[in-house]
Amino acid sequence: MLRITGGRVYDPANEVDGEVRDVCISGGRIVEEVTGADVRTIDAAGMVVFPGGVDVHTHVAGGALNFARAMTPENHRNAAKFTHSPELRAGVGGTTPSTFATGYLYAGLGYTTVNEAAVPVLSARHTHEELRDTPLVDKSCCVLMANNELILDLLEEGETERAKHLLAWHLWAAKGYGVKAVNPGGVTAWKWGKDAKILSEPVPGYSKVTPAKIISSMAAMVDELELPHPMHLHCNNLGAPGNIDTTIETMKVLDGHRAHMAHLQFHSYGGDDWDTLRSESVRLAEFFNEQPNLTADAGAILFGDSVTITADGPWQHLLYQLTGRKWGNLDVENETGCGVVPYTYKGTNMVNAVQWAVGLELLLLINDPWRIYLTTDHPNGACFWRYPEIIHLLMNADFRRECIEKLPDKALKRIHLPGIDREYTLSEIAIIISAGPARALGMPQKGHLGVGADADVVLYNDDSDRERMFGHPRYLLKGGEVVVEEGDIRKMVDGREFIVRPSYDDNIEEYLRPLFEQYYTMSFENYPVEMERLEGADIRECG
Amino acid sequence: MITLTLKEQPEVPIEAEALSPDVVSKLGNDELRALPIFYGKRQLRLDEFFEVEGELSEELEIHGDASRVKWLGRGMTHGQLRIVGNAGMHLGAFMKGGTIDVTGNASDWIGAEMSGGLIRVGGNAGGQIGAAYRGTLTGMTAGTIVVEGSAGLEVGMRMKRGTIVIKGMAKDFTGLEMKGGTIILGGAELRTGAWMNRGTIISLTPIPLLPTFAYNCSYNPTFLRVYARELAGLGISLPFEESEGSYESYSGDAAVSRKGELLVWQPAG
Amino acid sequence: MGGKVTCTLGEVKNRADFIIYWGGNPADCHPLHFSRYTLIPKGKHVPEGRKGRTMVLVDVRETPSAKHADILLQVKPGKDFEVITTLRALVKNQPVDAARVAETGLTLEQLQDFVDRMKNARFGVLFFGMGLSMTRGKHMNSAAALALVAELNAYTKFVSMPMRGHGNVTGADVVMRWTTGFPFGVSMSRGYPRFNPGEFSTIDVLVRGDNDATLVLGADPGATMPQPAIDHLARTPTIVLDPKVTHTSRLARVHITTATTGISAPGTVYRMDEIPLPLKPILESPYPTDEEVVHRILEKVKEKPAWTPASYKEVPCA
Ligand SMILES: [Zn+2]
Repeated sequence: MLRITGGRVYDPANEVDGEVRDVCISGGRIVEEVTGADVRTIDAAGMVVFPGGVDVHTHVAGGALNFARAMTPENHRNAAKFTHSPELRAGVGGTTPSTFATGYLYAGLGYTTVNEAAVPVLSARHTHEELRDTPLVDKSCCVLMANNELILDLLEEGETERAKHLLAWHLWAAKGYGVKAVNPGGVTAWKWGKDAKILSEPVPGYSKVTPAKIISSMAAMVDELELPHPMHLHCNNLGAPGNIDTTIETMKVLDGHRAHMAHLQFHSYGGDDWDTLRSESVRLAEFFNEQPNLTADAGAILFGDSVTITADGPWQHLLYQLTGRKWGNLDVENETGCGVVPYTYKGTNMVNAVQWAVGLELLLLINDPWRIYLTTDHPNGACFWRYPEIIHLLMNADFRRECIEKLPDKALKRIHLPGIDREYTLSEIAIIISAGPARALGMPQKGHLGVGADADVVLYNDDSDRERMFGHPRYLLKGGEVVVEEGDIRKMVDGREFIVRPSYDDNIEEYLRPLFEQYYTMSFENYPVEMERLEGADIRECG
Repeated sequence: MITLTLKEQPEVPIEAEALSPDVVSKLGNDELRALPIFYGKRQLRLDEFFEVEGELSEELEIHGDASRVKWLGRGMTHGQLRIVGNAGMHLGAFMKGGTIDVTGNASDWIGAEMSGGLIRVGGNAGGQIGAAYRGTLTGMTAGTIVVEGSAGLEVGMRMKRGTIVIKGMAKDFTGLEMKGGTIILGGAELRTGAWMNRGTIISLTPIPLLPTFAYNCSYNPTFLRVYARELAGLGISLPFEESEGSYESYSGDAAVSRKGELLVWQPAG
Repeated sequence: MGGKVTCTLGEVKNRADFIIYWGGNPADCHPLHFSRYTLIPKGKHVPEGRKGRTMVLVDVRETPSAKHADILLQVKPGKDFEVITTLRALVKNQPVDAARVAETGLTLEQLQDFVDRMKNARFGVLFFGMGLSMTRGKHMNSAAALALVAELNAYTKFVSMPMRGHGNVTGADVVMRWTTGFPFGVSMSRGYPRFNPGEFSTIDVLVRGDNDATLVLGADPGATMPQPAIDHLARTPTIVLDPKVTHTSRLARVHITTATTGISAPGTVYRMDEIPLPLKPILESPYPTDEEVVHRILEKVKEKPAWTPASYKEVPCA
């Protein structure tokens, strides 16, 4: 049992805004009160107390990420090193950290829950194996569905109801938590080297299936299945100049259905080509503010080395041609694909400067912090362990201005950031890094410090250097265990995995089996991930 | 001068990145003796493997067969490192300045990703001289490496600037994916200049060429006169007089670009 | 500059109309490849099956796989890199030297025809085997194959896949990556992972004699590695975990018999396209699994006097 006393508590979900109050913990949960001789007290005077961070969109495990590790030894050779000790496993940080290091690095920011945002069913077993080896954080997965050809084939036939059962079956087979849609129709088109750029045009290989149809029907399926997390959507035309129109069109197509719009920064550009690229964050934010059915994460970029990893194959081929550097591509039969391209964002590059501004603009212009969350689409825009740099930029307008002054002149007239004075409060930060994403993920036990919540609690020094503050938590409690103490990781605990079991018609398996045997290359029995593969699975029944 | 003498051959390799003038020049003899080195997974004191004489000097001399001592002169910026004997892997890797001399042989990765300074090897050297470490986009960006004897694979891989001279034969893939700079060869085995983007490779004897190199002309480039004079200071004689012969010029590698130049010396007559 | 453009085997089955095998003899070494994944199956988008596909075999000799090929390109031994580099230039319509091309055993006309066919494929795939990746040029031959395929994507859909060897090589590579950040050639001697193939890869370490003990798991280096490596294994303490007596176990100081994975022990095998397949045991074994043995060794190691990198002094360095 444990009492945290004297700290200023930021618990926006329970409308606690910086009050000095005690937080009591027993049995891994927040409780009203603890008493007795065996209560440990942590004196948090001078510290702020936050619910543990929640990353709504990150790439930390699985085939694509592991592919990136193989491709970029240069990004790990000079990265943070984790030396093994009786408590800790060895590892490397960098752009795609090893699994153990991923857990340590997240804990080193005060994060306790992460959502791996792109999992193919076919290799989900691999993802779960990696997540098992990712300590100190709880985990969930979004499963890639919007290019699953067996589902698209059903949409082509107008069999939406059966498609819904198939989707639900796949989600359970993958032991996933949510449904991910990446470049709907575009990834399957990429299997022929093509893309799906126009929402209303049929996807190559289909006559009736359009990206718009995939988006609207899949969002509806997710709502009908009553999944805790809305459809997690990576829009078409990621990264392309002028893609603002596609993004707004996508929001209209959703027609009131819930959706989480991933890495919005990459979808908020005006202009016709790279030379005329400009920020359209104002237009996007204004439209988004009026759509209460939607949440979003920023997908902000920071200058420096990154590696882009996405199921968006055609975009990755373009990026490879633009950079002339390395290119990895892995198409996954009947389901999805992925591309890997190392990339360096340069402050001197006009396009990168605009991207940098757009991420911050969206965070500052979307007026409800409950609907926009801090992410970098790790490792695409920047590595997650750089979040504190973004928090500092959001909380300190003077610092932001200093950074803007260093941007190339060409970029300044293409962005809105210089005219924005808003500064985030600590409470708003607590929303965008914890309370908001927890709510969007539909995890009632996360992102707050009310009675009954998981005792994931982080204590930061109240430091005017917000980057230092959020990069060096003094204490972190995971499920009530003190895992970071005086800034050092002291204890290894395994995280849980959240999964959903949606209801579906069992007969769907009879429909699927012959198709599977015809189109796939493994035995049908081996396709679903066995429950034993997961460590500490926390199952939510839905629908 | 600081003199280190290897007492016995280590059973497994030693890693001794502390042995650079930058580090040793600030240390007294006692501190030198206590410098940490790695013997396999164990951290030992320097004097467990070396006799240590002298202190506080920018001249460091290592005696003995140090072919299993890695990372000598890593990242050094000034001073002199002299190895009387052989040197192990990564000699002078990331070096920025100063001079390294090896009287015997050197191993792989000498001068890898270096950005300045001079490395001279009296005997033979291994592979990946002045190269980029695996995955890194750019190898050496400045400095000079001279090998009196032969060299191994992938000499100058992805180098961007600087000069590498191999007086003997180099093995396959010399100048692999080179981006600039100059490599001078006594001769080479296969695939010289493979996938080079830019830069110059000069061979003083005929070498096998990839099908993706195209013959341009035979000439005596004027830049070679300047270059030859510079190299003369390092004891290297590069022929350039028309009376002595001329260079066959090839451009390639057409698999990636045609902006690299391969010059092959043809003596007159 | 590197990378890999690939897919899972089902994509090949469903789409590939142009299939290249380079430096491999799948008819003998991967007997199910043709029938299960590449040539014979009727794919979703290749309903004609074998008739809808063209197969090119590139090798130094006419192997039993040749009778399955539509086109056989016989290249001189050790000239694969020259051929692929020439193909890369031809793909981009760059000139090459016909006489030097002919030294590879193939003519410029043959290679131009090959390039035209590759570019006209709807979905091409290049499988490459040890005849490419283990002959002169080694990793650069593989890099050449990968680069050629990446560049072909400017013209059409093309993927490549190495034909990995026996056992769970791919699995070892996959797990090494997520646990250490690097695929192979990893040294933990400084307490954290470092990567440098050539320096830390098993074969190089053994040939140079850089290690003073060896633990062998799921491999038989005594049968495949060069003699200096085998001599070193015999000279120094070698411990083998294997269900069977192997070349390595014969020269090892210790051989611990373990249960056969996939028959008596559960686990995961990664296919050559990195798809994980579960292994479900069907027989009981009196022997412990590899995993149990390794865990028990680890427990004993932990009882040894503490050696922990945490006690290292920081090494000064320029
Ligand atoms: Zn993402």
